[in-house]
Amino acid sequence: MNAFRPFGLILLTLFSFTAPAQQMAGVVSYNRVEYWTKIYSRATYLSREEKDRIQQTFKNDDGETTKMKLLFTPDQSLYTYESEQAQTDDGRYSWRHSDYIIQRNFKDEKKTEIEETLGKTYLIEDSLRAPNWKVMNQIKDIAGHICMKAVTEDTVRNQKITAWFAQDIPVPAGPERYFGLPGLILELDLNDGDVLITATKIDFKDVSKDVVLAKKPKGRKLTDAGYDKLIGDYIKDSIKGHRFPYIRY
Amino acid sequence: MRNFLVVLLLLAASRMAVAQQSPRITVRGTVVDTANAVLPGATVMLLTPKDSALVSFGRTDDKGIFQLKGMRRAPYILKVSYVGYLPLQKDVAPDNGDVTDMGPLQIKPIQKELLEVVVRTAKAPLSIRGDTIEYNANSFKVPPGSTVEELLRKLPGMQVDGDGNIRAQGQEVKKVLVDGKAFFGSDPKLATKNLPAEAISKVQVFNDKSEQSKITGVDDGKKEKAVNLELKESHRKGGFGKVTAGAGPDSRKQMRSMVRGNYNRFSQKEQFSVIGLGNNLNQNGLSWNDYQDFRGSQSFNWQDDGNFGFSNGGVFFFGDGDENSLTVPISNGVTNQGFSKNYAGGGNYNYDTKKTKISSSYFYNRADQNFDTRTDQETFLPNFTYQRQENSRRYVWNNNHRATLRLEQNFDSLNTLIVVANARFNNGNEQFGSNQDFFQDDSVRVSRTGINNQSSSTTFQLASTAIYRHKFRKKGRNFAASLGYNVTNADGSANQQSVNEFYRDTTLAGTLLPPININQDVISSSLRTELKSSLFYTEPISKKVVWETFYNFSIRNDKVDRDYYDRTSDVARVRNDSLSRYYTNDFFYNRVGSSLRYNNKGFNISGGLAALWFNQSGRFAGDQTATRFTTVNRDYFTLVPNASVTYDMKNNRYLYGGYSVDIRQPSTRDLQPVVDNSNPRYIQQGNPTLLPQLTKNVNIGFNSFNPASFTQIYFGASYGWILNQIVYNQLVDPLLVTRTTPVNINGGSTFNTYVGFGFPLKKTKATINFNTYYGYNKNPLYINSELNQTNSNNYNFGVRLDLTPSDKFTFYPNANWSVTDTRYSVNTTQNQRIYNFRYGADMNVKLPFNMYFNGNLNYQIYKNPRFGFNQHLPILNLAVYKLFLKENKGEIRLSAYDVFNKNQGITQQAYQNFVQTSQVQTLARYFTLSFTYNMRGLKSQMRR
Repeated sequence: MNAFRPFGLILLTLFSFTAPAQQMAGVVSYNRVEYWTKIYSRATYLSREEKDRIQQTFKNDDGETTKMKLLFTPDQSLYTYESEQAQTDDGRYSWRHSDYIIQRNFKDEKKTEIEETLGKTYLIEDSLRAPNWKVMNQIKDIAGHICMKAVTEDTVRNQKITAWFAQDIPVPAGPERYFGLPGLILELDLNDGDVLITATKIDFKDVSKDVVLAKKPKGRKLTDAGYDKLIGDYIKDSIKGHRFPYIRY
Repeated sequence: MRNFLVVLLLLAASRMAVAQQSPRITVRGTVVDTANAVLPGATVMLLTPKDSALVSFGRTDDKGIFQLKGMRRAPYILKVSYVGYLPLQKDVAPDNGDVTDMGPLQIKPIQKELLEVVVRTAKAPLSIRGDTIEYNANSFKVPPGSTVEELLRKLPGMQVDGDGNIRAQGQEVKKVLVDGKAFFGSDPKLATKNLPAEAISKVQVFNDKSEQSKITGVDDGKKEKAVNLELKESHRKGGFGKVTAGAGPDSRKQMRSMVRGNYNRFSQKEQFSVIGLGNNLNQNGLSWNDYQDFRGSQSFNWQDDGNFGFSNGGVFFFGDGDENSLTVPISNGVTNQGFSKNYAGGGNYNYDTKKTKISSSYFYNRADQNFDTRTDQETFLPNFTYQRQENSRRYVWNNNHRATLRLEQNFDSLNTLIVVANARFNNGNEQFGSNQDFFQDDSVRVSRTGINNQSSSTTFQLASTAIYRHKFRKKGRNFAASLGYNVTNADGSANQQSVNEFYRDTTLAGTLLPPININQDVISSSLRTELKSSLFYTEPISKKVVWETFYNFSIRNDKVDRDYYDRTSDVARVRNDSLSRYYTNDFFYNRVGSSLRYNNKGFNISGGLAALWFNQSGRFAGDQTATRFTTVNRDYFTLVPNASVTYDMKNNRYLYGGYSVDIRQPSTRDLQPVVDNSNPRYIQQGNPTLLPQLTKNVNIGFNSFNPASFTQIYFGASYGWILNQIVYNQLVDPLLVTRTTPVNINGGSTFNTYVGFGFPLKKTKATINFNTYYGYNKNPLYINSELNQTNSNNYNFGVRLDLTPSDKFTFYPNANWSVTDTRYSVNTTQNQRIYNFRYGADMNVKLPFNMYFNGNLNYQIYKNPRFGFNQHLPILNLAVYKLFLKENKGEIRLSAYDVFNKNQGITQQAYQNFVQTSQVQTLARYFTLSFTYNMRGLKSQMRR
């Protein structure tokens, strides 16, 4: 389970400073790249030879990119696919993305997540608990903003997470299920390069209408703890069954 | 006592003092720059000193002041960051008060050049440790082969003069260290001029002497600028290989042996591999694992097909000269009949970068095959029945050289060119000898034919394609063009000898036919060339609709020259004009088609139409010098519609269906008006007027898979009907010579439906799968010019169990029951029901001392009560193996194949008007002891 801390305390101090509204709301476009030969090399039941063979054979096809977007305001954020349809590179063929919407309400400390995974559509409604971040000493430029590095750990999936947050966009939002840093997270590295989510551009504009879910979401209800147990059990079962535990990272 | 009281009082007083200290404090301060101007909007963070965990954060207000309230009373690290400035870290040690005031915190700006060039332009991350700045040399592009000096020239704040003297931030650099150690003495130029830039991962510039001595452990004693270069871990490169060798006796006391090995060397961009094998175990191809190790990143290329458009049945078969494929053969584990010796070897080279990929490979294989066959056949004709018994021996030697070349060039993100060429050179020999005895009605021998044939051939085959793809700026608008050139050149020479003796008069002519001796030479040469081209264009009509158009063109020329010579004596021969043939054929093929595709919310529907037209003009005569040729000239036109629907219902459920028309061109062999009389009792002749076979098919299917519960379910149905079905019309004359020729016939149809589902009995320990299948086939057929309708119904049911209770034992049993009911409209006496039962199991046991046991059983039962067939074929393979050496690099294995010695190569078949049993002498039971060495370590094969 992720370590949690009450979120409200942090938020109080955040609002001691008012920033110009235009820098505090907008849409971030991300490129989500999955390196599945790296992901396969994590499987404990594959031999070194089998992992090498996957690496050697598919090294030219690695790096599958999906476009995502994050709408953010100082109070809320919404993260989902940029469009409902996925498309091949040449635009010839498109297919449906499985449902994936992550909505966060920082003011009320609530979260709503819709995820189609493991054969069902789940609705997770729970209170907001920020991950345990460690802030490091590196800075780099992403999409024109200087960002600082922070790391945390996902104990359910057993992964190391690296996030780069923008120093000049003081919104605690971020892609995937990560948030709670002093700035907007513009790059997320899941498990040491297995999946890389990088912001390509940021559009500052008013998104207060779109950052909330349009209609009441449908799905099997789960709490945060229930979701973690679902994923944890699946990974354990899959590894025991020598079946690759492929779930969305 | 008094002292005690004093102590108590003091204790109480101090207690009270502590009690007055609140458990929560406020940390505050002001952030200023080097000119002491306040900085509003700076981010301030409180971290735990132990592991830098983020506890709280805030921002400075308009006056540059920050306040973090409600913090637990404990020591912290305060971190201040502001865009354009070096982050500041300072320890917070809370005093007794409720507020810990840090005072003014001065932050220094990052050197402008550093920010602009390193961070913004080169996108390299900067690491800041106190006053040390580190940046990643990887993001600086220097030409390959550059030295560190050239790399340093590019770094901001660094100046390198003509002599190689380095100045960092204006100060002279007196020391260049590599991984913290002095490199060849104290002259910095030695490192910078001799190390390649590619080996460097980080460049550290020290501003502070204290940092420098702390990290490098070298006490300089002076304030000097120093540069430390950290080297990269050696590039990902290496090599691996594996070799297996084994031998053992078979049931005839002959030695069976095999050897197989491969070796691979690779680096980031290149892969080089070699492979070799030799065996007399009937295994002629590579396993899929060996194939992937051999071809590496070029194992699967999905975009290399230059035939654009749906329903590509317009593509001609190529290379039906001999049965060898154009690409590296892959054996799927099925052992072939007869006995064969196989040798193969090859090398493969791949060069892969993002822009350019080059690959070339060479593969040689040789197979020596030996077939010793006995056949018993009974044929039912409208007026009589006859039997045939044959004993034959066939030796085949084949040498194949294969070469592949592939180039893929990405000029930019919008333009790609792929050029692929596959070539094969083959030469082979065959020797065939047989004795056939014919009996009619009352098992009295009517005639006999003895055959003795020799042939040799060489074939050269080339298939090459070039594909150019262009993506326009508008997403979804694409263009592709392809050009292909294929050549097959085959030359053969054969000598056909047969003696045909007649003992009974079956022609009712009243006299007995004298023996017919045939001694013929057949010299043949054929040349097929094809030039083809395709164009393809897609245009996005809207966000949900895509429009595709394609055009295929091909022009092909066939030339076949077959000269028959009757041998009159050992040296003289006369040309046989009636059998000789010279034949040329030109195909001119065009196809244009278009389709629309609609995509929305998982619903994908497409519909299209193609128009196909070809012109075939051929002519044939006995010889190229003939004055009169028979010509074949026809135009063929047809419309080919196509529709498909796929529906991605959420949660891993898919529904799909469609309608398609598949066009199968007659094979060149079927079209050629040449006579094949290599078996004088079974003469085959081609038909140049054959039309292509059109199969119209409609299908629907559904599948669903739940990964969490490991359950799956699928079902589907498909119906097809055939126009111009190509069937072989057989005519048996009173001399019991069968002549067969392909003809088109209408009216065949086929239908099948299947259901399958699987679920775990106990998750990860036991899973069960069921599948059922029903299909029927309706086929029209000519039997001695009489039209017959064959109806066959097939019912099939199967079960499979995957039992994996522990890491020490796995068991995979399966069973399949199939019943086929065949009915003939005219020859109702031939109606039959065939039962095919198959039981199989795979078992793996882990034994102590790193030993493993594997058993594999495949038990087939074949019953045809109508003709008294009842075959039981249990094929059992057992193996015991031990892994040893460090990291399990070695394996020693004792195996037994076909323990019950049942692989006797017996097949029994019943067709429309005949029943046949044949037996090929085949490799049956044998044992081997083999040893494997694998550089990367071996793994037990407990799980599938």
